[in-house]
Amino acid sequence: MTNAAIAARGLEKRFGPVAALRGIDLDVPAATTLAVLGPNGAGKSTLLRLVAGLARPTAGSLRVGNPGDDRRRTRGRVGYLAHASFLYPALTARENLIFAARLYGVLDPRRRAAELLEAQGLAAVADRPAGGFSRGMAQRLAIARGLVHDPSIVLLDEPYTGLDRAAAHALTERLRELRAAGRTLVLVTHELSRACELADRAVVLARGRIVHAAEGPALGLAALEQAYLASVESAA
Amino acid sequence: MNVLLAVLWKDLVSEWRTGDRIVSMLLFSVLVVIVFHFALPADASQLLQTGAAGLLWIAYVFASVLGLNRAFALELENEALSGLALAPADRGWIFLGKAAANTLLLFLVQAVTALAFALAFDVRLGAVALRFAVLMALGALGLSSVGTLFAAVAVRTRYREVMLPLLLLPVMIPILLGAVRASSALLERGALPSPELRLLVVVDVAFLIVSFVLFEYVLDE
Repeated sequence: MTNAAIAARGLEKRFGPVAALRGIDLDVPAATTLAVLGPNGAGKSTLLRLVAGLARPTAGSLRVGNPGDDRRRTRGRVGYLAHASFLYPALTARENLIFAARLYGVLDPRRRAAELLEAQGLAAVADRPAGGFSRGMAQRLAIARGLVHDPSIVLLDEPYTGLDRAAAHALTERLRELRAAGRTLVLVTHELSRACELADRAVVLARGRIVHAAEGPALGLAALEQAYLASVESAA
Repeated sequence: MNVLLAVLWKDLVSEWRTGDRIVSMLLFSVLVVIVFHFALPADASQLLQTGAAGLLWIAYVFASVLGLNRAFALELENEALSGLALAPADRGWIFLGKAAANTLLLFLVQAVTALAFALAFDVRLGAVALRFAVLMALGALGLSSVGTLFAAVAVRTRYREVMLPLLLLPVMIPILLGAVRASSALLERGALPSPELRLLVVVDVAFLIVSFVLFEYVLDE
């Protein structure tokens, strides 16, 4: 637990009478990749939003980053790519990134925006309003936004949505680079093959609980698929 | 401070490109002036002498509610509000950036409306223009500071269009008390009364401090 980048104990989140997460115990060691799997409504996105610092737990404890970090510092360590893009349609791609860089206190926002636009293959459309972007382009821009402050913990909620094959391949390569650079990744996905490809460890959530955890040899696609289906059926 | 300036820049650039808020606020407040122009008799100079300030502030209040509702609608698209909430800064600075943008837009609407009012009713604002601008700015700051806080609260509720005025209008009373009385005195006697001015300044400062502190919790889900 001491070197865990994320540590949760008895984590619960309720929205009125609805329990979105119930008694989650989870350690994510630094510089590893965790895949979070589960059916719709299992609590995967809620877990990410708690880790990102967008919501507070109803009960239990959650530590993100170093022990003793306050919520502000924690938010600065986390890059979050959510379902929604967090983009402003009236601003250009470049302006969206410069704005995000300023929010995170990046030293040279213009230079950082230019680097990310180049890396995401968006340099040619950098000065077009984000509101006119296709789903795939917006997703690439959202990925750039999430990484604008070079976070040590990266949370990705179904990041492959809307990406074509080339962009999906580029994202996989980018995630591998991040992992090689010692970043901690938490990847929510419905694609078990992606989880097997990228993750060191996987957990299956159903009805707000972790119903299965796998790592090492148990992270093979067939084994994970079997465990996933069994866990989800038993939770139903 | 950087966060304040970034949010202010973002809001003003977005508004410049879309005209999302300013157009509806201006149309509404100028329409109020036009309606009163048709409704009041031609020889209503005495009535105008005493009621002009009230009439103007009615237009300002409803224009501000209209603008504040739209201010956070901008943040709902693509869940941009969550993107703001993730910033590793005191969220009070986000509040100040939004409130500054709302204040500037409202002040612009107030100025145009006052001009339209002066033209429609042949009221000579020129002699008191600077002092009236100070009053409008203090009123705009008060309405926008508490309005930004409540707009952020209301934006995540199901009936946000209704919720904002319900929350906001009762809290606006101290601002309106100071602003309407001070405006009346200014238009009638050409002097700004100190007690009302002090009330406005104190209420503005109190609302700014309380909203700055509470915004940290308002942005939590």
